Amino acid sequence: MSAFTDWDILRNLLLAARWTVALSLIAFAGGALVGLLLTFMQISGRVVLVQMTRLYVELFQGTPLLMQLFLVFFGISLFGIDVSPWTAAALALTLFSSAYLTEIWRGCIESIPKGQWEASRCLGLNYVEVMYHIILPQALRIAIAPTVGFSVQIVKGTALASIIGFVELTKAGTMLNNATFEPFKVFGFVALIYFLLCYPLSVASRMLERKLHASG
Amino acid sequence: MPLVNIDNVHKYYGDNHVLKGIDLRIDAGEVVSIIGRSGSGKSTLLRCINGLETYSEGGIIVDQMEVTDDDSQIRKLSKSVGMVFQHFNLFPHLTVGQNITLAPKLVRKLSAEEAAETAREVLQKVGLQDKFDSFPGELSGGQQQRVAIARSLAMRPKVLLCDEITSALDPELVGEVLKVLETLATEGMTLILVTHEMNFARDIGDRVIFMHQGKVWESGEAKAVFANPQTPELQTFINAVL
Amino acid sequence: MDYNFQFSELWPYTNLIVDGLLWTIALTLITTILGCLLGTLGAAARAGRNKLLKHLVGAYVELIRNTPFIVQLFFIFFGLPSIGIKLTAWEAGLLAMVINLGAYSTEIIRAGIEATPKGQLEAARTLGLSRVQTFIRVVLPPALQTIYPALTSQCIIVMLGSAVLSQISVQELTFAANFIQSRNFLSFEVYLVVALLYLALAVLMRQLFKVVHYYAFPNLRARK
Repeated sequence: MSAFTDWDILRNLLLAARWTVALSLIAFAGGALVGLLLTFMQISGRVVLVQMTRLYVELFQGTPLLMQLFLVFFGISLFGIDVSPWTAAALALTLFSSAYLTEIWRGCIESIPKGQWEASRCLGLNYVEVMYHIILPQALRIAIAPTVGFSVQIVKGTALASIIGFVELTKAGTMLNNATFEPFKVFGFVALIYFLLCYPLSVASRMLERKLHASG
Repeated sequence: MPLVNIDNVHKYYGDNHVLKGIDLRIDAGEVVSIIGRSGSGKSTLLRCINGLETYSEGGIIVDQMEVTDDDSQIRKLSKSVGMVFQHFNLFPHLTVGQNITLAPKLVRKLSAEEAAETAREVLQKVGLQDKFDSFPGELSGGQQQRVAIARSLAMRPKVLLCDEITSALDPELVGEVLKVLETLATEGMTLILVTHEMNFARDIGDRVIFMHQGKVWESGEAKAVFANPQTPELQTFINAVL
Repeated sequence: MDYNFQFSELWPYTNLIVDGLLWTIALTLITTILGCLLGTLGAAARAGRNKLLKHLVGAYVELIRNTPFIVQLFFIFFGLPSIGIKLTAWEAGLLAMVINLGAYSTEIIRAGIEATPKGQLEAARTLGLSRVQTFIRVVLPPALQTIYPALTSQCIIVMLGSAVLSQISVQELTFAANFIQSRNFLSFEVYLVVALLYLALAVLMRQLFKVVHYYAFPNLRARK
């Protein structure tokens, strides 16, 4: 028990960090997919779809991610399905991410100056054509930086999966702490690994944003 | 000793030589207009007088104080030199009254009552005594600029620098601002204006400085300069703007 | 699906839920005030001339923004005692929340300060205001106006994040929920009700921030 060297701690944490990365990737991919769908609902111009999307976003942005995890975890088992922490975490983080991404992307689309709409409509393009040829290409460019920025929130969000028992970086930290009684060192390492995962994404997001502003 | 003494001032932006040895003496009570194309260095010169821009060589002395970029020196200078900007630069979160009393209270250490008294007096001078509690956002451009003038006057400056103060205004609002300047001029305030209002420069100004390529190209008594330009550059400029 | 929801089973626990709710509100209120204060100081340091302080604050912001809140909490609650800083769960939770909001609000307010038009600074300088006077009187108020929506959202995010404090046994709303579900096993019902309470709190906070905005920035009201 006392045979844990610093290297042992770090190695175990790094092994667990693979699951943090995997969960992050799944949540991001899933969130982007669902978010894309929701974004299209939002720009469909149909009141019902727009309202539904708004409600969805409100719900996920107005409740703690931890509650979302619990509700997915315990909610699915109500159907008599035995759900693993991994599945529940992946699903909850997907829903969570999709709401935030939808909101970010809506902001990007709305930030395109109204003059672009007016000019395109004057040229005789219909709603879908304007959206597809004029608005979305411009919005996409703007959206890249905040989307990369949000991926940091996803990586950090995966830490909560530890609470429903999924062994990723934070859970591994708690377990190692219980084994070594060296919380300062263990959680210091845990924080460091998260930082090494997140900081490059933060920097990338900032660089992308600067590049966008520089190119006008 | 002149109020403003500019002695062989040079300024470079990197390799760009924007002021090439400016010599200028301005006495108390004079109204001096600086005219010229954009890029001639006239705004830069004006901003050197109160330390907003540093100069590379030479010297500027205003009211017996050397102009340096030292913060405490700028603070001292602010009691002698006022400045009005093209875009007013009023503080949007403060009322007209608060805009005017801020610096007298903080810098001249007036009491709240004294500062408010001063504010009412200078607002009266620009004809906006009823706007004391309005916010800048509620006023027209012309009114905002008059408040900005009042804010400068509340510091009791000996010289007022005006940097194209009518350029951002709708044409119909220019008159009210020029009228305020005219009143100040007749009351004996020293004014140094960078301006595109040639009629004002000619009719109200005592002296006109024509700047070209970073130099004082031509200068003299206002009406004479306009009536009888000596250089082809000034001739061209006057033809273009009048 | 073959399940009978039993929300009525929650009634006996109303007191617990209300207590938890009140603690969450108290934590959020204190954090909002202290965190925004810390953020203002941080932003001032970022805008200031002291190079060392500037970099220290920069490092603090990056460190907090790029690590999960729960890890910060564990580090403070479990880690700090080993170097002699003993904190109760409450203190650790509050400290973690303030430090977290402080970092985010530093960054938000800094962005507002950077958006200050150059002319405002020139006007203040021309009027003879010192650097500190300029910052407090001229730069900060409009900057806070500009970033107010972002700051509102961040305070709400921190409120929602406080659910994690249940993990170190701070008896806030989520702790109450965990306790109740450990007694009656009605996990879904409990968490649904509590989630809705959080939602109500978020909506309420947004409204409250609007009221504060109305009184704090009279100039925006006046404009027609």
